[in-house]
Amino acid sequence: MAEPSAAGRPFDEEALPHLDTLYRVALRLTADPTLAEDLVQDTMLKAYRSWKQYRPGTNARGWLLTILRNTFINDYRRRKHEPIAMDLEAVEPHALYRSVQDTDPEGTFFSQIVDAKVIEAIDALPTDFREVLALSDIEGMSYGEIAETLKIPVGTVKSRLFRARRQLQAGLYAHAVEMGYIKPREPAR
Amino acid sequence: MSRLDCEEALAHLDDYLKRELTPDMLGEVRTHLERCRDCEGYARFEQSFLMMLENRAQKETCPNEVRARIVAALRAAARGS
Repeated sequence: MAEPSAAGRPFDEEALPHLDTLYRVALRLTADPTLAEDLVQDTMLKAYRSWKQYRPGTNARGWLLTILRNTFINDYRRRKHEPIAMDLEAVEPHALYRSVQDTDPEGTFFSQIVDAKVIEAIDALPTDFREVLALSDIEGMSYGEIAETLKIPVGTVKSRLFRARRQLQAGLYAHAVEMGYIKPREPAR
Repeated sequence: MSRLDCEEALAHLDDYLKRELTPDMLGEVRTHLERCRDCEGYARFEQSFLMMLENRAQKETCPNEVRARIVAALRAAARGS
């Protein structure tokens, strides 16, 4: 279907295996399945048209994700109602382990939380946070790969990831307490 | 012998769990975790959190009808070019 890049494999062979990753990241960025589908399709068409610029043997997944992200920022971001911006630096929940180490140190309450609630908690994070979390902890990308894809320093990747995990844990814990999966810790004396 | 105290070991925990440490530092953190029950518990908790996250979120895959639509759009683009 598609012509090969300069000296490499056809577009389909390189790009289609990454469709699930692109779709998941698009879902996290848009938090809207219909927009995510459009975003992935636009990304694939743009990538197809610029396939000659792809250097064979480099990171196709990163290349596709960069296109997806640019497309999202340019064409989609303003279409979607963004959650109220949080002061990213100010939010610093403590490590959740300290709250559960006496009651549930293995974190078994996580397994009681249904998939949809886990996804909902991820999507409640600020965009910059859930983007890094999705690439690292769901897609398994390295710090370096994420930094290259997002065009940000590795240090920024790490600090966003740290805060994203803390916020997500806090959100999941609040839900688990609400549902009675875990007893809240006694208030500190 | 590990020279890391708890604070230093935990500061490297995220990198340790992501296997993004030099072999030397990886060994230092591992040695600390083997000897410190508190930090070992912390590390296991974080590990189970990350595994849960990956397992749950990776269940989401591109629906077949979306995949088919994209393949059709690519074919149309190929015919048009």
